[in-house]
Amino acid sequence: MEQLFYYLKVSWFSVKRAPLPYMLTVLILSLGLGVFFSNATFYYRINSDPLPAKSDKLFFPMMLLVPYQCSNCKPPSVLSYSNVAKLNASDIPSAKAAMYSAGGYLRLNAEQAPTPVTVRITQRDFFSMFDVPLLHGSIWPDNQPRDELLLSKATAEKLFGRTDVTGQQVLLDDRLFTIIGVLDQWQMLPKLYDAFNRNYLNPTEDIYLPLESGYDYNYLSNTNSSTFEDADYRKLATDGRTKAIHQLQYWVQLDTPAQQQAYRQFMANLVADEKAAGRHPSAEANQLVMMRDIVSYFDGESGDIKAFAIVTLLFLLVCVFNASHLSLNRYLSNQYEFSLRRALGANRSQLQVQLLVDMGLMSTFTLAGAAIIAYGGIKLMNYLWPSNSLFASWDLQLMLALAALTLLCSYLVTLYPSLRASFGSLNKQLKE
Amino acid sequence: MITLTNLGKVFRTELIETHALRDVNLQVNEGEFAALTGPSGSGKSTLLNILGTLESFDSGDYQLDGKSVKGLSDAALSKLRNEKIGFIFQSFNLIKDFSIYDNIELPLRYRGLKAAERKQRIERALELVGLHARRDYLPGQLSGGQQQRVAIARAIAGEPRILLADEPTGNLDSLMARQVMELLEQINRQGCTILMVTHDPDQARRAGRNIQIIDGQLHDSTMYDPLAQHTA
Ligand SMILES: Nc1ncnc2c1ncn2[C@@H]1O[C@H](COP(=O)(O)OP(=O)(O)OP(=O)(O)O)[C@@H](O)[C@H]1O
Ligand SMILES: [Mg+2]
Repeated sequence: MEQLFYYLKVSWFSVKRAPLPYMLTVLILSLGLGVFFSNATFYYRINSDPLPAKSDKLFFPMMLLVPYQCSNCKPPSVLSYSNVAKLNASDIPSAKAAMYSAGGYLRLNAEQAPTPVTVRITQRDFFSMFDVPLLHGSIWPDNQPRDELLLSKATAEKLFGRTDVTGQQVLLDDRLFTIIGVLDQWQMLPKLYDAFNRNYLNPTEDIYLPLESGYDYNYLSNTNSSTFEDADYRKLATDGRTKAIHQLQYWVQLDTPAQQQAYRQFMANLVADEKAAGRHPSAEANQLVMMRDIVSYFDGESGDIKAFAIVTLLFLLVCVFNASHLSLNRYLSNQYEFSLRRALGANRSQLQVQLLVDMGLMSTFTLAGAAIIAYGGIKLMNYLWPSNSLFASWDLQLMLALAALTLLCSYLVTLYPSLRASFGSLNKQLKE
Repeated sequence: MITLTNLGKVFRTELIETHALRDVNLQVNEGEFAALTGPSGSGKSTLLNILGTLESFDSGDYQLDGKSVKGLSDAALSKLRNEKIGFIFQSFNLIKDFSIYDNIELPLRYRGLKAAERKQRIERALELVGLHARRDYLPGQLSGGQQQRVAIARAIAGEPRILLADEPTGNLDSLMARQVMELLEQINRQGCTILMVTHDPDQARRAGRNIQIIDGQLHDSTMYDPLAQHTA
């Protein structure tokens, strides 16, 4: 222990001897690591699996059931109400839910000013499929239309100042609804159930409404809907249910490969029947995409995120290279001291321990510097792209990985100089 | 205790080969005080560095206490340097931002001595060189002669049996040089073998033995009568 303090003292003295080059080394390394950290945080979050136990069991079926000829087309990412009804007829999935999102205005009573809210309009299996935690109340007993909704915890707190508000009534777009449940704190990061068009970067919704009510009250999807032929998108309750208005995302849970195979077959049969009935002209182009693969299927893994990650990695390499150059100069100007220590009887491993302590000290400074710069970088990114701010949090695992990377970089920065210094000719520097 | 047989050393650079030492045969006995003299570039420092195992040699053999140093590992050589040999340099080579005390402690640290033992040895060495009161000074706060005495204290703190000094008074004025010489003589009287490179004929004469190197070859090795020293 005492010896460790001694080594630390020696390191500290060598820092004090030439503080400027040392600070510059630490700064360059911190900068490279900090920029890399902030980007890596985002990258790590965005590519993490929000439901590792289930992400290979949840599937997103898509079918080219549109009333026009289209060869080599990808199926649209949303389905019409009647198509979903046909898919819903299958008992193969252990859970299934159609859904879409919309916007609305919420208030407690007619005197209050309404606040804008995001609404997920869905069916009861949604909550079990995506492991949504419930704090109070319950979910709908079936998929019938009903004037009952669930609130997110934050929404309940914002509206009522508390969470236990089941049985209370609220006005959503000036229609009276009863609150039957309040969700516990929940963020699905990334929100893979809504992956199309990079919606997976958005937070989960404030309010949950039954699908049938959403159609009855004419809530149109605020992200992705297409209307074909003579359908009128303003008449969701009627045309929406019978005609070609596509706006529903549909998720099924298929636990086993056998279930998955059976479901593929079911989809193929369905498309063939529809074609035979003359309801669509195109060749089959069914897709059954695993949740794990949904982002890459939609090309959501955009080129710019990847390019930025590569750029920050290159930047880090340049910084490590420069820092190691600076550090080499520092060691070379200190080499006389190495030689002296050797002359006084220090062996190589004793000098290497000294260098390890040097490295530890540098890592500590660098980690602090990098953490500050990374924090600043994340703040900046959140400021520039507020929608990404969900992905800016650090957890222990990530921090440990970043600390390990810092250690590795400090090691690279000290390794070469230390080898140079401890294997260099001994006597040269002592003469002058 | 030191035996060199047909020792040779060649420095090779891209352009030239320098035969810094050739066919050196030398025997140094325990307790001797030998002065190494010779013109600049003749190989004095090289010889001293080889004796101190700071430098390797190309031919011949070097035996210390009857054992060849050839083929010893880095750890073994370091241990040997640490325990048997003390170095004194022309330019003192003190670490500038370490206190006098910390400078003297260096070789004892590498030997892995306990704190109490280190302290005891440092105090003894400081006492000997007469700088006990300045133990917490930095080297820059001392005169050149005092700095060289600190370097001597550092060299002898580990109680080595051989002291290798490369022009220890080269940077000092004559008064300080004399003090340092007297100190070295005192250390020699206590039984430590000393090899010292010097350009000063007076100092060479005061040493018990004078070894001359010219052009990498041991030219002459004269024994002086110790009694003659005092009468001179
Ligand atoms: N590291 C080295 N590389 C190449 N040549 C060297 C090296 N060290 C010494 N020499 C050469 O070896 C010869 C002997 O050098 P050395 O330093 O031993 O001389 P010296 O007798 O100590 O001289 P001085 O009195 O000037 O200190 C010189 O010609 C020198 O140029
Ligand atoms: Mg010399």
